[in-house]
Amino acid sequence: MAAGMRRSAIEYHRPERLADVFELRGAPDTWLVAGGTDLMVRVREGAVRPRAIVSLRRIPELGGIEVADGARIGALTRVSQIVRDGRLGERWTALALAARSLGSAQIRNMATVGGNLCNASPCADLAPPLLAADARATVVSPRGSREMDLADLFEGPRVTALAPDEVLQDIRLGAPPAGSRSIFLKKGRVAMDIALASISVQLLVDSGCLRSVRVAAGSLAPTPVRLRRVEAALEGKPPDEDVLSLARAAACEEVRPISDVRASADYRRHLAGAFVERAVRSLAGGNGR
Amino acid sequence: MKVECAFVVNGEPVCVDVAPAARLVDVLRGPLGLTGTKEGCGNGECGACTVLVDGEPVNACLFPVLEVEGREVTTIEGIGGPGGALSPVQEAFVRHGGIQCGFCTPGMIVTATSLLRSNPDPSDDEIRDGLRGNLCRCTGYVQIVDSVREAAKAMREEGADE
Repeated sequence: MAAGMRRSAIEYHRPERLADVFELRGAPDTWLVAGGTDLMVRVREGAVRPRAIVSLRRIPELGGIEVADGARIGALTRVSQIVRDGRLGERWTALALAARSLGSAQIRNMATVGGNLCNASPCADLAPPLLAADARATVVSPRGSREMDLADLFEGPRVTALAPDEVLQDIRLGAPPAGSRSIFLKKGRVAMDIALASISVQLLVDSGCLRSVRVAAGSLAPTPVRLRRVEAALEGKPPDEDVLSLARAAACEEVRPISDVRASADYRRHLAGAFVERAVRSLAGGNGR
Repeated sequence: MKVECAFVVNGEPVCVDVAPAARLVDVLRGPLGLTGTKEGCGNGECGACTVLVDGEPVNACLFPVLEVEGREVTTIEGIGGPGGALSPVQEAFVRHGGIQCGFCTPGMIVTATSLLRSNPDPSDDEIRDGLRGNLCRCTGYVQIVDSVREAAKAMREEGADE
């Protein structure tokens, strides 16, 4: 009952202009919400006690998907919109696979790209494929807008590099290298689980050697991360057994997983290595889904 | 402090006074008396509270009611035809015993109905995947998948007849 009383006192704002978002969020204990799939649970559990919630759903500047050579994905884009967008799936297969693997149909209809990223959870499913695609993030504030590497958005578990007055506007993707393919692999105990570990790889095979290799990981460090040493172990090399074995070892070494109720750090390390090997085999074997 | 919220439920326009941050599930089950929608986990994991908003399944336990203003909500009460007629999905659940304690059933049927609208001929894997956000703690999944498969077949045949 006490929780219900607290909840009934929470203000809920639905601004239609970015300028109003900036003004409203200046008040103390004010939280921004997009899809609400994370915040609404945390409010219910008392993990956060907002005085006011500001819904971003009506802000036109934060929506929309545009695809040309590259893509611009508005922060309010729902995960189900990514699943349905064939243009994105064709060029950024790993992103589509990650979107499809996220939660349930119900969750995908609510959860947004911006929410998934700005929660800064180490296990955000959309982060590894976006990191492996060299995504950039556009951030807006009353002071103007700026762009940053998506990798620089994540500072720690639930901590982003956004200033208190900044809002993520969109994600920008450059054209993937010609001939490149990508894949996303994730382990959960059952379909609805948060990822125990996930790996996204983007690469191309040129004259029998791996090129433009990008490897990113989820649930394997305090933030979603690029695995640069794994990339170096693969770049320019043929995907033979020796190289795969070195890449697998590099992945086990480079990740910094924790042990928690869902999996031990050792098991997560094992998954990191196994997924890197499996991803490269799959992409180099030509069936790069 | 309450605010007015106007939307459409099962084809009927409604206007209710709500706490600004109230959840859709509480407004449906409380002032609107639509108790077919269940609250299980309250975290968006079990799907017992599944309703359609503008035709798309969502978890009513995570949906702020003010976000349905001006939109159309369909609950389990709006899935069947007039006069208590059962939909093909509901009929198939009855025939196959796709129901044990019944608590997950409204959410299962709402999700399955939406699944079959977008995919009229799903494989068993697609049915299981489509229902992965709906948990049955009696674990009656075999009968539930049987029910959805047969409902799909019945709906395809009905469509072919017309």
